[in-house]
Amino acid sequence: MDQILKERDRLLQRTARAFGLAFTAVAFACLAAPGSVGPTTLVLIVPLFAILAFAQYRLGVSRALAWIVVILASGTAILFVVVTLETDTPTAGAAAGLGMLMSFSLASVAVVLASGRYRIPVLAVVVLTLGVLAVVLLEPWRPLVHSITLFAVGWSSMTLVGAWVVAAVPQVARRIASIGRAHRAERHASELEAQRRQNARLLHDTVLATLTLLAHSGVGVAPAALQQQAAEDARLLRQLRLGATPTPDRSGQYNLEPVEETVLGTTLESVKQRFGRMGLEVSWHGTGQVLLPSDVLDAFLLALAECLENVRRHSGVTEAHVTIVDDATTVRAMVTDAGVGFVLDDVDSARLGFKDSVVARLKEVGGQARLFSSPGSGTTVVLEVPR
Amino acid sequence: MKLYELAENTLGVVITPKGGTNGDRPAPNVGPQRRNPLGSSFLGLGAAFVSALGALYGLGWFVAQWDLYSSPLVALVSWVLLLLALVVGAVAARFSGERMPTWILVVFLAIVAVSVALDLYAIWDLHNVGAYATSATAAGLVILVIVTSRPGIEVLIADVLLGIALVVVIVVNVDIAGQPGILPQQITSVAFATIPATIAVLLIGGFRRMVQLELDRVLVQSTVNAPRFAVGMLASEELARLDLAAEELLDSVATGRTPLPLRPRTASVAASLATELRLHLIEGRRETWLYHAITESEMLGKSVSLVDKGSLAGLLDDRQRDGLLSAIWMLVSEKAKPSAQRTVEVQVGPIIPNPATGPGQKLAVPIVISTTGITRNRVDPSTWDALRRVGRYSDSTRDSSVKIDVECLVDNPADVQA
Repeated sequence: MDQILKERDRLLQRTARAFGLAFTAVAFACLAAPGSVGPTTLVLIVPLFAILAFAQYRLGVSRALAWIVVILASGTAILFVVVTLETDTPTAGAAAGLGMLMSFSLASVAVVLASGRYRIPVLAVVVLTLGVLAVVLLEPWRPLVHSITLFAVGWSSMTLVGAWVVAAVPQVARRIASIGRAHRAERHASELEAQRRQNARLLHDTVLATLTLLAHSGVGVAPAALQQQAAEDARLLRQLRLGATPTPDRSGQYNLEPVEETVLGTTLESVKQRFGRMGLEVSWHGTGQVLLPSDVLDAFLLALAECLENVRRHSGVTEAHVTIVDDATTVRAMVTDAGVGFVLDDVDSARLGFKDSVVARLKEVGGQARLFSSPGSGTTVVLEVPR
Repeated sequence: MKLYELAENTLGVVITPKGGTNGDRPAPNVGPQRRNPLGSSFLGLGAAFVSALGALYGLGWFVAQWDLYSSPLVALVSWVLLLLALVVGAVAARFSGERMPTWILVVFLAIVAVSVALDLYAIWDLHNVGAYATSATAAGLVILVIVTSRPGIEVLIADVLLGIALVVVIVVNVDIAGQPGILPQQITSVAFATIPATIAVLLIGGFRRMVQLELDRVLVQSTVNAPRFAVGMLASEELARLDLAAEELLDSVATGRTPLPLRPRTASVAASLATELRLHLIEGRRETWLYHAITESEMLGKSVSLVDKGSLAGLLDDRQRDGLLSAIWMLVSEKAKPSAQRTVEVQVGPIIPNPATGPGQKLAVPIVISTTGITRNRVDPSTWDALRRVGRYSDSTRDSSVKIDVECLVDNPADVQA
């Protein structure tokens, strides 16, 4: 609320400045027009007009009452100077100029005075004083009715403008506040929804891994297995979409225990930490409750670490995903990254140390490794070892 | 595949589909482009009042000089038309919603134009437009009734055309050189006809900007209550969209509708889905409320940059967040010189190592706010109040712009979790 009030005051000040300066220019043009006032008068009022214009300009940026005082004082001074020096030769031009000055140029302060508690009495006093001055002093120059009407029109319309804006702001602020409340609720709901989906993912989701396999056209995986996996994943997503928070303990044939609680999980944790220290963040999904003969486990972990090392060195990203799944005969790890990828035929796989470190190691324990990649769509390595 | 569906949130912001692999960042909120600016109808009513006031004044003059017209009936018709235009304009602005149909605008302006022409015709013989023009001058105020319901530029064009018409008629009709004293009256009448509408357009424009700014601020304010790590407003919608697309793809693979191996096109869809999902699921949660506040705000997004490597801003409590956000807001919004390019860089952390670390010990997070183009004396005093809520601060000047160091004490997240 404070902010909008500040903005409101700035708006009123700028409006007052624009109005004041415009009509000051008009008033000056009228008085400076040939034949309106004598040369002595003109010389005297030019600096006064300069002061007036400067104060009106300052009113646009400063809330100090002093500028209002300067505006009113210099304006009244102009009136006095002209009326005193030109008593004998009243002209229509001077009358028009003074009318503009008193009824519009000075009335611009009413826009600013319309806001604030103590400002309204000030405004009333100002209007009365200036009104009497303008009407009485200009009496010989133009008809009384004319002066009064012009003065009333000028000051009332300026006050109306200021008061109207002041009245509009709280209404608008209330509506904005209610929009803000709705928005906060929406943000909260959005946050909860994202949280729900994310939690469901991090716990037991193989969607990412399956999608990555599909990204390589599903080559190298038995179509039936992939179809079954896709069906499972689609079911999970459907459940999510329909509002459920699926918490199955098994997804298809895969165990869904949190990985940290198991032996392999602990080992993986240390792998993860090791790569985390080197700047590669490893997230993994799927089961960790895998019991493997120790030689197989060693080969598996070494191959996995080697793959992660390749990701760290070549992929250009700082994040890799490892999905571990197992069935009756094999344990499978999918290492995926969203990095630069490469054309398989272009890069000698030996250069990546792939053949020696990964393929050979796994072969020794009866496993195998497959590599999928294409430029721009990341790399997936599938490691398989028998149970 | 409905991969990219146009969606709209409660604010009517169209969520632009993001293509390819860089869908990880929420698009900077373009700001609610409301067709119905708040407060417009109320301001329109005020404009109608001012308009009517001006018309009344002109009408008074018209009655007073009735005897001077050689053909007063023409002037009378001119006034009837002008009042008709006033009523048409006011009613249309009130009931045609916030956007007056163009044909009504055309009718309105045509009536005003005919009225002006008739008035100028009626006073042609008097050869003093400034002194005797009534409805032609008041027309400039009558235009005010449409100021809230049409774009400002249209009102300005109408206003300028009126001014030009008056000046041309004055030059042709009035013998200024022969009668020296006659010039001021011409000036005042043209000023009367043109200045009010011009300033009204500026005022309405300023008002709309003010509303827009406040809306922006209030919407961003909602980030203050967000959890330590938050997803942006659009994240869950994005996620839902991606999930749906993934579900359809997986379903079609499962049912065999899409044969394996996949065609390259489908495979690339799967690739981009996987990438976007991954980014959404993992990356999104590293961003704090402050990041979202800055990126979602039209105002802050333009000039504020954030360096928060450790996502420490998330540790601030609601009061501190509110103070920090208000302070940044006030630094940016203080527009004493609109031309000045001002930027604010907020750097959060790193945490000052505290020897007395232990349970119950607060962490000290230093926040450095460096600015350009903001001098010390231009800073709104309430900025300092807001900063006081964040923590102990000290300010200095560097390159003639303010630099503020805040030492912000926050609860240790380890304690909170324990």
